[in-house]
Amino acid sequence: MQRLFQIPILFILLVMLAFSSCRKDYGNLNSPTVEQFLSNASQSQLNNLVSGAESGMRTNTALYLDDAGTIGREGYRFSASEPRYVTDLLGANDGTLSSSNFYITNPWASRYQVVKNCNVLIQAATASTLITAAQRNGYTGFARMIKAYQLLLNLNLTDSNGIRIDVSDPDALGPIVGYNDALAAISSLLDSAQTDLTGAEVVFSLAGFAGFSDAPGLLKVDRALAARVDVYRGLWANALNDLNSSFFGLTADFYLGVNHVFGTGSGDQLNPAFIPQNQNGEVRVAHPSYATDIESGDDRIGKATLRTSTASLNGLSSNRDVWVYTSSTANMPIIRNEELILIYAEAKIQLSAFTDALTALNTIRAGHNLAPYGGTVDQPSLITEMLNQRRYSLFYEGHRWIDMRRYGLLGQLPIDRVGDNVWSEFPLPVSEQQ
Amino acid sequence: MRKIIIFIMALLCAVTTPYRLLAQTRVLTGKVMEKNGQPIAGASVIISQSNQGVVTDADGRFKITVPGNASVVFRSTGFTSQTVRVPQGMAELNIVLREDVTGLEEVIITGLSTSIKRSNLANAVATVSSRELEGVAPAQTFDGALEGKIPGAYINANTGAPGGGVSVKLRGVTSVYGNTQPLYVVDGVFVDNTATSGGLNTVTGALAGGSATSNQDNPSSRIADLRAEDIENIEILKGASAAAIYGSKAAAGVVVITTKKGKPGRTNLTLSQDAGVIEVRKLLGVRQFTADRAASLSSDSATSAALRQEFLDAQAAGHLYDYEKEVYGNKGFARNTVLSVSGGSEKTSFYFSAGQKDEAGIVKNTGYRNTGLRLNLEHHINDNIKIGVSTAYINSSADRGLSGNDNAGVSLGIALSSTPSFAQLHPDQFGNYPNNPFAASNPLQTIALMRNNEGVNRFITGLNLEAILQKSRNSTTKFIARGGFDFYNLETNVLFPGNLQFQAVNKGTSIQGTTRNLNDNFIASLVNIYTPSEKLSLTTSAGITQEQGDYNNLLNVATQVISSQSNVDQAGSLTAAQFRSKFENNGVFAQEEVAILDAINVTGGIRFDQSSNNGDVGKYYVYPKAGLSWNLTKMGIIREGFFENLKLRAAYGQANNVPAYGSKFTSLGVSNIAGFPGSLVGIQEGDPSIKPERQAEFETGIDFTVLKGRLGFELTYYDKTIKDFLMQGSLPSSSGFTSQWINAGDLRNRGLELGLNAKPVDTRKVSWNTSVNFWLNRSLVTRFIIPPVPQGSFGYVLGSFQIEQGKSATQILGLDGTGGVSKLGDGEPKFQMNSYNEVTFFNKLSLRFLLHWKFGGDNVNLTNLENDFGGTSADYDKVTNKLGLPNGIYRISQIGTSARMFVQDASYFRVREIGIYYSFDKLPVNSVKSIRVGVSLNNFITVTRYPSYDPEVSNFGAGFSSGVDVDPYPASKRADFHVSIGF
Repeated sequence: MQRLFQIPILFILLVMLAFSSCRKDYGNLNSPTVEQFLSNASQSQLNNLVSGAESGMRTNTALYLDDAGTIGREGYRFSASEPRYVTDLLGANDGTLSSSNFYITNPWASRYQVVKNCNVLIQAATASTLITAAQRNGYTGFARMIKAYQLLLNLNLTDSNGIRIDVSDPDALGPIVGYNDALAAISSLLDSAQTDLTGAEVVFSLAGFAGFSDAPGLLKVDRALAARVDVYRGLWANALNDLNSSFFGLTADFYLGVNHVFGTGSGDQLNPAFIPQNQNGEVRVAHPSYATDIESGDDRIGKATLRTSTASLNGLSSNRDVWVYTSSTANMPIIRNEELILIYAEAKIQLSAFTDALTALNTIRAGHNLAPYGGTVDQPSLITEMLNQRRYSLFYEGHRWIDMRRYGLLGQLPIDRVGDNVWSEFPLPVSEQQ
Repeated sequence: MRKIIIFIMALLCAVTTPYRLLAQTRVLTGKVMEKNGQPIAGASVIISQSNQGVVTDADGRFKITVPGNASVVFRSTGFTSQTVRVPQGMAELNIVLREDVTGLEEVIITGLSTSIKRSNLANAVATVSSRELEGVAPAQTFDGALEGKIPGAYINANTGAPGGGVSVKLRGVTSVYGNTQPLYVVDGVFVDNTATSGGLNTVTGALAGGSATSNQDNPSSRIADLRAEDIENIEILKGASAAAIYGSKAAAGVVVITTKKGKPGRTNLTLSQDAGVIEVRKLLGVRQFTADRAASLSSDSATSAALRQEFLDAQAAGHLYDYEKEVYGNKGFARNTVLSVSGGSEKTSFYFSAGQKDEAGIVKNTGYRNTGLRLNLEHHINDNIKIGVSTAYINSSADRGLSGNDNAGVSLGIALSSTPSFAQLHPDQFGNYPNNPFAASNPLQTIALMRNNEGVNRFITGLNLEAILQKSRNSTTKFIARGGFDFYNLETNVLFPGNLQFQAVNKGTSIQGTTRNLNDNFIASLVNIYTPSEKLSLTTSAGITQEQGDYNNLLNVATQVISSQSNVDQAGSLTAAQFRSKFENNGVFAQEEVAILDAINVTGGIRFDQSSNNGDVGKYYVYPKAGLSWNLTKMGIIREGFFENLKLRAAYGQANNVPAYGSKFTSLGVSNIAGFPGSLVGIQEGDPSIKPERQAEFETGIDFTVLKGRLGFELTYYDKTIKDFLMQGSLPSSSGFTSQWINAGDLRNRGLELGLNAKPVDTRKVSWNTSVNFWLNRSLVTRFIIPPVPQGSFGYVLGSFQIEQGKSATQILGLDGTGGVSKLGDGEPKFQMNSYNEVTFFNKLSLRFLLHWKFGGDNVNLTNLENDFGGTSADYDKVTNKLGLPNGIYRISQIGTSARMFVQDASYFRVREIGIYYSFDKLPVNSVKSIRVGVSLNNFITVTRYPSYDPEVSNFGAGFSSGVDVDPYPASKRADFHVSIGF
């Protein structure tokens, strides 16, 4: 009987002791949480989100360039450890692009990560009572512009498979939007950024926006991006309008513009597209046609320097390194004047204003040590010339594949091995196909 | 009122009992021996139906005061206990105990503070004795020593790198991205088994995105620090029905480790020395190059011609090399010295050991060193209070080399995969290594210059207090408190000097990591054993438990390191990463065990748990358990004849696995640019309502022995379900998140375990003990709330795991060659078997061996793919495929169409361990008591069709997706010579 007497009482005491003991909640010991930013963020917190977005834009950019550059036959990425660069991306063995592989899942996720940061920035700035209305517009304008740019890069990969535009609520994502609607949505996002930035006050610092880091500067960048979207949409007059509000200048430096910048500082990134010349095993080489197709005297041959030894892998060879990103802290352009001049030329060709177009094309040619254009002056010939100049001026900046696709010319890209294919688009990542 | 009267009467009865006994006592002396006359020291001699007893001394002698007409029970581990009636007048009694072949007498820990004989147990609990653990052919690390020894477990070595790294899954996968590894408890202390990355991802880029660490960094498991020599015995509680009482963290099972304790009597001093050699288990071989084959490495005609010439030059100069053999062909010398001293008096006993092992790896400049000290003390303050302390200090150091997946061409296997025999990689006369023109790195240079070291200083201290609060003739109440701490400091030291071929961008990388981890826990309980009559015994226990953990990892990544320096300040660029985690789990438990007629045992228990890692930190989750065992022969229902000890048993229990720290937060990581601090939303979305996953296990079985205990059978069936299993679910990444910890669904494991223990030969000259086990497990995802996506590997093109409702949890899917995605394999073995044998001749010569057969279970083998791709695989030029192409070319042509060739059967049959030992116990020198010499082979013989280095491999470490093979550090085998001297 004694045990009946003892144990329950002791047990009850123990239970009471335990249940009343303090319960620990350690919180997040490592990093801030989204909730903290959404409850009345300070200016410095908002600035952290701005820098986070600018920094995050750089993640997986080399992979994006390799995706577009390999399929667009600008170059090859040889890797002893990663066969899929030269199998899947080149369409080897009549295979397919996989929706679960790194070449689409990684860049896609990284771009949407920045979109998420921009959405948090918009929400946080909207909720903050510690900033003025003009300052708020500065934050939201920047966020919308960056968001539009990131969405555009993903749409470039998936093309007619579309992208998701409305992603503000992770539990209730908007639908997948087809190519034309997505471009329209990106355009209107850039327009709303324009509205926000007009008269806004910029109280944050940017790293790769030298000369454009105030509200008027950001407006110019916004319009430059809008002009790119305009030509993708075939809205030629709009493109010229937007160019006028951008930093476009026929006589300005080709490299005037905004960039991803890289550094060795703590928590910073190095340029992931930089590989020193004449490496082995892990190399990024120019497609042989880059050198064979180039006009003699063109100084852009310097973007594909001769190697001391030919690199070969899996039936592919090249004796030139891609030499666009020449150091680990070299800039990577987001958008720059050389592209704007070519957008100007393209719009003018499409509007049959050939004289203006030739002025622009010859500006590019002269800038690269070439004589003025001497070919036929009609729309098809000038389009060919314009695409050719885009090929060399914007080499390995992620344009060739998209340009050839826009003009329905993917069939003209060279095929190097029997069984290879030229892809027109990536499938949506498997996680989106549900 | 009536109760109080009865209580007082009982108390009076209790108080007067000793006097009644004293009145008619006398002294009984004697000796307890084995069959061959060897004395049994430390055997317990207990007066039946009482709490009184003594233990035998070093010569097996005892002296006990017994009442007039008593029965005395003799017990010792490893022997069948025996009850003897001592008639009036008997003063001396010599007893021979029979060896317990079937293990029925073994005492198994069934609660946090209670135990039971195996013959009365409701669960199938596997045990590994000291002899099985390290007495056959010792493995390098503790985790490696478990391999092949636990029925019901799927144990897989992740890597052959020195310092271990083993995944242990008990009765199937219990979680997907939650904790799949069991809880390890050493003398009551919950020890940490975190694998901490040294930041190799900085260099390998195996995980894209620039993180310093990834799950492909190949770190060791911290459980590897334990020294097998100090372990007396291991019990493996394989599922919730047995482990429920451990509550939090017990869902993946519990490995209960008991270290050696001293015994009263003469002091024993043993010095053991092992010396051995370690070499690679298997090499894949390399492609035999010819001028044509060399030329075919390039599609460019000029390069092709140059390669041809390069080959011819190398051939003429005799400079063709087998680089695989050069890289992995090192013969490592291994030594291990252990000194142990144990002994004690009636009041105090001690066990002390000091040991050091130092072993080189199969790759130069890799190896493992472990130095350990242990002191275990037990002291009886008085008849009622006993305290024990067990302390261990461990210093370990592992140089693990660079292996596994990478995206920079730097790991040894990846570099080798594209390096042909005519490459010239050897250093010049000044020691300068040439760049490898065929790969991003020169593996010989990498081996010579790099460093990847894990250094650990660890203290594990356990305390144990048992106080008898009340004792009467039929009731004993004890207070039992157990607890302790596990503290370690781990230094990871990774250095890649700037003159390495692949350091052209970073110009030298030094990654210095410091991890400090403190775990502490305690259990305080009250236990009452009440024996109202010979036929009934009730054990009641209740108590509280608490576990706390505090982990802090700081990683400094320096690049642009000044030549010949490794300090992180001697560098042009420095980035730091810090990760901290803390948890506190609280629990309350109560358990009742009822034994009727020593034949029916009923157990019931309940546990309440809360954890700071749960979404709701204050909420207590409730986990019940129950068990029943029914011995039909002891009950007399089946007459003892052919069958002895026929027992039916069933047990049910629930346990949990708390979410990983931080699963409830949506965090922002740091992402800076040009000196501006940036916050970037992390890719993992938090779930503020995250719950622990709950495992419910039902097991049932039948045990019996036949032929007078010489043959024992144990059959078990289990069904365990994991409800709300934790998983890092993939989210549509357009949400900005790629993953979220969620309670994703339900999972079921069902399996069978059959065990047989026998002594087929038992003569005076020869005896043979054997055990054979067979086990299998099948899993099924019964509910899955998110859409299935490939995970845990590299996508459908190469073969990938995928959790899907209605399918096996470990299925492997991939492109099937007909344009679709199908199931190509399953990571789960179809079954496994093992057999441990010990044959003794003349009590002197002992042959022991452990066989292990894993049948079925597929791997995703990408090692051979890398070699094909680099044009170096041994069978590259053979033609055995239907297209008539060279195999290498054929296989590459299948990429993107079919993943079948990557999903390969990883069955194997291994002679895990074999050892032969001879003991000298009659020695001319008085100071030396015994000498034992032996030789052993560990993992020497493997029969498998698996074409890569070893079927045991895991590029992703000890998590869910083991069996992915990407250029691992090849597995090794070892041969040892042993001498052990007893003083």
